[in-house]
Parts: sequence; C-alpha cells; structure tokens
Amino acid sequence: MNELREKAKELLLNNTVKLIIGYANGNGHNRTYPFIARNAADANRLVFNEYCVNNLAVYLTRKEFKGKGIIGIVAKGCDVKAIIQLIQENQINKDEVYIIGMNCNGAVNQLDNSFEKTTLAQKCINCTVRTPALYHALIGTTKDIEEPADTLGEKIKEVEKLNADSRWDFWEAQFEKCIKCYACRQVCPLCYCEQCIVDKTVPRWIESSAHTRGNFSWNIIRAFHLSGRCIGCGECERVCPMDIPLSMLNRKMSIIAKKEFDYSAGVSLDSPTLVGTYNMKDRQDFIK
Amino acid sequence: MKIGVFVCHCGENIGKTVDCATVAQRAAKIPGVAYSVDNKYMCSDPGQNVIKNAIREKKLDAVVVASCSPHMHEKTFRKAAADAGINKYLCEIANVREQCSWVHDNIPDATDKALDLVRIAVEKVKRNIPLTAIRVPVTKRALVIGGGISGIQAALDIANSGFEVVLVEKEPSIGGHMSQLSETFPTLDCSQCILTPRMVEVYQHPKIKLLTYSEVEKVEGFIGNFTVTIKKKARSIDEEKCTGCGLCIQKCPIKKKAFNEFEEGLATRPAIYVPFPQAVPNIPVIDRSVCTYYQTGKCQMCLKVCGREAILFEQQDTLVTEEVGSIVIATGYKLYSIDKKPEDSEIKGYGEYGYGKYKDVIDGLQFERIASASGPTNGEILRPSDKTQPKKIVFIQCVGSRDEQKGFSYCSKICCMYTAKHAMLYKHKVHDGEAYVFYMDIRAGGKMYEEFVRRAIEEDGVKYIRGRVSKIYRQNGKYIVKGEDTIAGMPVVIDADMVVLATAMVAQPNASKLAQTIGVPYDKYGFYQEVHPKLRPVEVSTAGVFLAGACQSPKDIPESVAMASAAAAKSLVLFGSDYLEREPTVAVVNEANCAGCFYCLKVCPYNAIEKKEVKNKLGEIIDYIAHVNAGLCQGCGTCNATCPSKSIELIGFNDEQIYAEINAFSESFV
Repeated sequence: MNELREKAKELLLNNTVKLIIGYANGNGHNRTYPFIARNAADANRLVFNEYCVNNLAVYLTRKEFKGKGIIGIVAKGCDVKAIIQLIQENQINKDEVYIIGMNCNGAVNQLDNSFEKTTLAQKCINCTVRTPALYHALIGTTKDIEEPADTLGEKIKEVEKLNADSRWDFWEAQFEKCIKCYACRQVCPLCYCEQCIVDKTVPRWIESSAHTRGNFSWNIIRAFHLSGRCIGCGECERVCPMDIPLSMLNRKMSIIAKKEFDYSAGVSLDSPTLVGTYNMKDRQDFIK
Repeated sequence: MKIGVFVCHCGENIGKTVDCATVAQRAAKIPGVAYSVDNKYMCSDPGQNVIKNAIREKKLDAVVVASCSPHMHEKTFRKAAADAGINKYLCEIANVREQCSWVHDNIPDATDKALDLVRIAVEKVKRNIPLTAIRVPVTKRALVIGGGISGIQAALDIANSGFEVVLVEKEPSIGGHMSQLSETFPTLDCSQCILTPRMVEVYQHPKIKLLTYSEVEKVEGFIGNFTVTIKKKARSIDEEKCTGCGLCIQKCPIKKKAFNEFEEGLATRPAIYVPFPQAVPNIPVIDRSVCTYYQTGKCQMCLKVCGREAILFEQQDTLVTEEVGSIVIATGYKLYSIDKKPEDSEIKGYGEYGYGKYKDVIDGLQFERIASASGPTNGEILRPSDKTQPKKIVFIQCVGSRDEQKGFSYCSKICCMYTAKHAMLYKHKVHDGEAYVFYMDIRAGGKMYEEFVRRAIEEDGVKYIRGRVSKIYRQNGKYIVKGEDTIAGMPVVIDADMVVLATAMVAQPNASKLAQTIGVPYDKYGFYQEVHPKLRPVEVSTAGVFLAGACQSPKDIPESVAMASAAAAKSLVLFGSDYLEREPTVAVVNEANCAGCFYCLKVCPYNAIEKKEVKNKLGEIIDYIAHVNAGLCQGCGTCNATCPSKSIELIGFNDEQIYAEINAFSESFV
C-alpha cells in the first residue's frame, strides 16, 4: 500500500500525471470505491487490496479526462486488457495514460452480500494476467492462491447441452428480469459510443420498454457489439441489479472468437482487432 | 407524397407467374400510392411514356417500378422519371422478376410476394430524398497491361485517338504468344510479318510509354483517377545506352544452358539475350538465375565487349507511379502444362500421353516453333529427339479441354482451327507424310473457318478420326497411339513418329493475384469475369477497367483484336468528357455521434475513410472522428454494417429507409 502511495505522490508531485484514477477505502465492510487523486494528500488515501474489484478503465474515456494530459490509473491485469483494447480502438492515446500496474492476487466477489466471506471473483479464476501485460510502473508481488472451480465454464457447458428451445427458455427467463437500467453499459469500459444504439430513435432499432422482446434485442445486440472486444472483466454482471448472467454470453463469445479465429481481446497492442481484420485464411464455409 | 406504382409483365417473364394486374390494383391501396398501373413492357418506349405521362398528369412525387433487377433497368426508369421532371433517386425498383417470378411457380403466392416487394419499395421511396450526382475529373490516360496482340491493339487504338497510353509487359519484349506462331489461320499468312509492324508502331508512337520487363504492383483510386505502381524489373542493362548491337549476346559464354522460353524449350539461349530477333525493344536482359557473374562473381564478358558500357550488374528493381483514368487488362493465356499435375489443382492430367517423358510428344506452341521459319529447325518439320523428318504424325485435340474428368469443362475454342492448320502445314512441308487428327467434334465457327478445315481434309488429305486416344507408348522407335474411331466403332492403332497435343488454353498462373490487385472478379478457372456476357463483354464490375483478349476466355487472334478495340473504345468513351458523374450513394459520417473507434477505416475495401481532426475553440485537437472521401467511396456499405453506434450511413440506403423496408416486409406476417 505504501509503495502505491509513494509512487502516486511522486507522479503527482513531478507532474508526470495530471491525476490518478485509483481506489480508496469505503464506508465499512472493507469496501473500496473509485477515487480520483489530484494531489499528494489524495495520494495518501489510495488503497489496493482484494476488494478493488472495479475496472477503472471505464473512466479513461470520460470527456473530463480525455485529451487533458496524461492520466494515471491503478490497474490490475484485467483492467490493463481493457486499456489495451481502448488504445487499439483509438479511444485513448497510449502516450496519454500512465499505467500503475498492480500485481494481483485475485479480487473478491462483492456480489456476495455478506462481505465477511471472501470468495474469489469469477473473473479471477484461471487468470493469466496477474501481472499486467502493459504498465509503466509495477507494484506489489503475486503469490500462489487457491482457485475454486470454474463454475462459469461449467454453467456454459450445461446450457450448451440444452436443445434450442430449452436454451431459448433459459435466456427468456433471464432477460425477462432486465429492467433496462443500462448499468451494464455504463460500467463497461468498452461501451464508449457517443450515442448508444439503444438510444437511437430514427429508426428505433431496439425497443426500450422493458419487455421481453426489447430485452432480448438489447442484451443480444450488446453481446454482439462486444464480441471479439470483451476482455472479460465481468463488471456488467457484477453491477446487474437483476442478476442476469451476462458473463455467460460474453465468455461464450470469446470462446468462439478463440476457437474460430484464434483471437483473444486485449492481449497485446500489436495484435490486430478481430472485427476489422481480413485474413485470407478466415473461415469461408458459412457462406452458402 | 404522391407515389406511382408501375408493374411490368416483362412479356411472359413476370406475367406468367405474377398476376400483374392484381398487384397493380392492390398496390393502389398502399398508403401514399396515388396511381398504379401494369404494362406488358414497361421498359419499351410506350411503357416509359406511361410512367412519364403519369408523373406529369397525376403530379407524382416518386415512382416505384416493379420489374426486373435494378442491374437491368434501374437506369432506364430513373432516366424516364428524370425526363418527366422528378429527381431520379425518387425512382425505386421492386425486383419482381429475378427475385420473384423466375424463382416461384405458384401464381397466388408469387403475386402476394410481388405485392410485398412493391410495398417495401413504396415505404423506401417515401423516405428517399432528391440527390445529385458527384462530379469527379477524369485523367485522360490509359494503362494497358500485357503487350500481346490484344494489348498492342488496345494501346494503338487509344494512342491514335490522341490520348497517352502506358503499356506494361512483364516479358523483356512485347509480342506475346502471337510472335511465336508460324502461320495464322485461316489465311496462312505469316504471324511475325503481320505482327512486327504493329510492335514497331507501338515502340515509335509518341503517345505510348512502353514499360517492358515490368509488372503492375499496386492499383489505387477509382474510375478516371487510378494511381498505378509498376515494378520495373532490373534488366541489368542501361536502356538509354544500349544500341541493341547484340555483341554481348554473341560473346556470352553460356550458350547451351538456359531454357529458351520463346522456343518453348526446343532450343537454348545465352544468359544475356533478347527473346527473338524482332524483339521490341531490342534491348537484351540478363537472366540472373543462369548468369555466371551472378552465380560465381566472375565473367563479366558482356561488360568487356560492350562498347557503350551499358551493362549494369548492380541495377535494382525500380517502382514507377503512373496516373491513369482507365485500365485495359490484356494479360492473355498460357497453355495447360500436361506433363505433371499442378499443385492444389483438381486437374488429374494426362500422364498416359507421355508429354515430358517422350521428346517427340509436343504441344501446339512447340509445333508452331518447329513450323516457323525463324524457329529452331528453320521451318523444317523435324522431330525434337533425333532431328529426322516424321513421316507419320498424330494430332490430338481437346487435351485438357472439354474434359470434366481430367481437365477443364470449357472448350479452348482455337484448337480445332490450329490443329487443322498444323496438319496442313505439315502436309505442305512433308509431301509424303501422313497426318492424323483425333477429334471430338470440329468446332469451326467463323468466317472461312469451316472451309479451312475442309481444305485440310479434302485438298491436303489429312485423316480425321473421331475419337479419343487412350494411351501413347514407345515401341521399336515408334510412338504407338492407341485410340478409338467412334464412327467406325473400331479401335485404332497408329505407329506415329511424332505426336502433337492440342492442349487447353488456361489462365495465366498469377491471374488471380493481378485480379486482387486491381479488384477484378475471376471465374473458377482464373479467367477474368465480364459484367454481362452479352451486353457488357469487355467491362468488369470495377468501373474503368476493361478486358481484352484471352485473359477473359480462350480466343483466337481476330476475336482478341476485336475485343481490344472494344476495350479501347470503352476507354475513349470515358475520355470523351472532362468529368465523370458518380452515384451519390456514398457513406457519410454522423460527426456528432462518431466515437472514433475507426473500425470503419479498418474494414473499408476502398481506403475511402480518413481520420478527421476535431478541434476546440482554441484550435487544439481534442479528438479524431471518421470522414468519408466521397471520391473513393463505392457505396458498398461495409462501414455501415460495422459501425457499432450506427454513426455512418449510406446516402440513399440509410438506416431509416432500410428499417422502413424491413417493417413493411414484416407487415405481411401480421
């Protein structure tokens, strides 16, 4: 913790960065919340621990930060994946972000209401980026952690086994719950469109009233818009007040991207984006 | 808005399966439709007058024509609408022929579907806005790729009309396959004698820039405004200094090593060479793969004898950029190599004919060289193996052609004629010789062609046997040709001294690469695909690119020349005006909504999308958004489909219009 604060102070004092997006302690229950450090005093409030589950990359595309000089960000490996994807999609300039990479030992699943229990967050299971792939400073050390079973992977396999009708029923039951609060969109670092397709009225592509048909359109279109782009931070599912298993959709899409195109999003600045890359070896057999 | 609906019967084409009168009646009830009528032939003059009169009399704002594909007659009807005073983009086509009557047979269902299509078009046209064509300037200069007879003809025709031509040839000399031929059917005039004057004319023409030993690397831009990058391969000769004296060629110590491409391998050539004596330009080239200097670093004999110091061993490939308005592709053909099965090909090949194994089993072009007065035997018919005169010669037609089992399903078209010519030349030169031709049918369509074949049979006594050859093998110094005479119903065995195979004409091996460079469609055989087989035979789907000669399909000389002149005429049509009108249906960015992810830029096949700076009031760059160069945009819509926030739209096909169409269609389900 001291290491992070010292580094943050140094960066702010010598004007390397304008501000630092990080985490600070919340009100009890070990909770942390996103916090903007603008001076040395602020820097002393920065924390990093297993409760820092949020993906702060979502703030990088905010109008109030974008193009206003170099922004520092406290980022776990998974958050860095989002930053890489944002750089590739021209949303942030790679010279205008200073990544304070955190060696991460897994975040806690805050969906659990009893904050006493510390179950490893779903996204941390089988994590391959506990040391971030891209950083300007690296803080902390990784240690061996005990990983629970990949329940998400198992759930996907279970649903895959169902026939089309049962799968439809499963998702209908899930999407029925959607109240169109768009928290999933707001928290997603890759949902940066100036105007979301769901807000378009000429024509209205997606019915915005919260009934099943519009809910289907919304959730499926969002999954498609994230295919080959979602880096699997799981924020959408974490913030969903109706507990829709959105990670199932996103994980399934990334499994397909991996299988069909050998592509994983946010892995490296050099790898081209999936949509937007034409390869002569791409599969053609679906063209009838 | 008052909309008129005009339903065409297209004679029986639509009228047979679609009840056009009912469609017209029911279309009248669609909200917004003020007038609706059917007609036997809407594209005819009276039919078009029906549209024009209705627009004027009923004061229509927009029209929907239910007819054939917009590819066919959209232009016709849009012009009719414009003639009657409404903007031509307020005319929409409902395709009730290709997408309805031709693919259905149940009249009530087809009629319902036709009405659906009309309703969709009506909903679209309601949302259409008047558009004006985009005007772009034309570069009045042509690129001709390939310096065979087709390319030469096209280049000369364009240049003689007063426009500059860049002629690119990949070999060291222009002339192509025609320069290899001995005599030409059906008149038996000497090929070189009629070709070389044209070659010289190209060379001396002030409007033609000749780039030999060069290949097209990259083509950018669009009709009227292409930028072409051409690679000039290193000749190792200073073209300015070389006088073509040929001393270097005489002194080159490598006389008998290099494969002579021009003589189809029947002779050898030195490492420094001109392909043939009449080559244009008469400047040698060093074949670095066999030259002693390049292999061992020693020799330099050519440099020592060259009085002009024109040998440049260190010369590198150079890139030349040319601005042109049109492109004529005349890259020609190759003969199907029958000796071995090509890699990744479904062709099974003809190993049983022994080509490549037996020296005296040759292909048509090799026979041309043997029969040519300038060829390796000085025109005497001598077989390659022992230089003796063959007394019995067998010609086999359709080797590779018309053979779905082992070769290609198409007919190579010229083989019937050139085989007759070969047999005739043989008989003229070997009076006591016997010539046999194995054929499937004789296809001698063309002026004086059938007469020519009859002359070979009747006057020169060539023996034609209808049937295929199953096997050729050696026995006692003879080539035993086993075949079948299907007319007599008997097997035939001929002990021949020499065999000539009329192998199929195939596309150039790198035809698909050039096609992808320029953006030209090609068929499964690699021949370039014209837009319309009957009405637009020299145009391709990329505007401003035209085809000439055998690169499009097998062709003889008269056809290639005619096609080359047609391609030249098409280029000249383009050069006839200073500006080109382009369809205004291009993409446009909603700048307020664009998030600048530039997926559109990545997927655009025409490089039409640029990054545009967004500045604040202080003039500082605060963001980048997408911008469409309307000159380059072809309106394909790939960007629209890719944009996640729907911030890019195709004018004339915008989201609202497409959505209205989908909605109109879905109405038929409720």
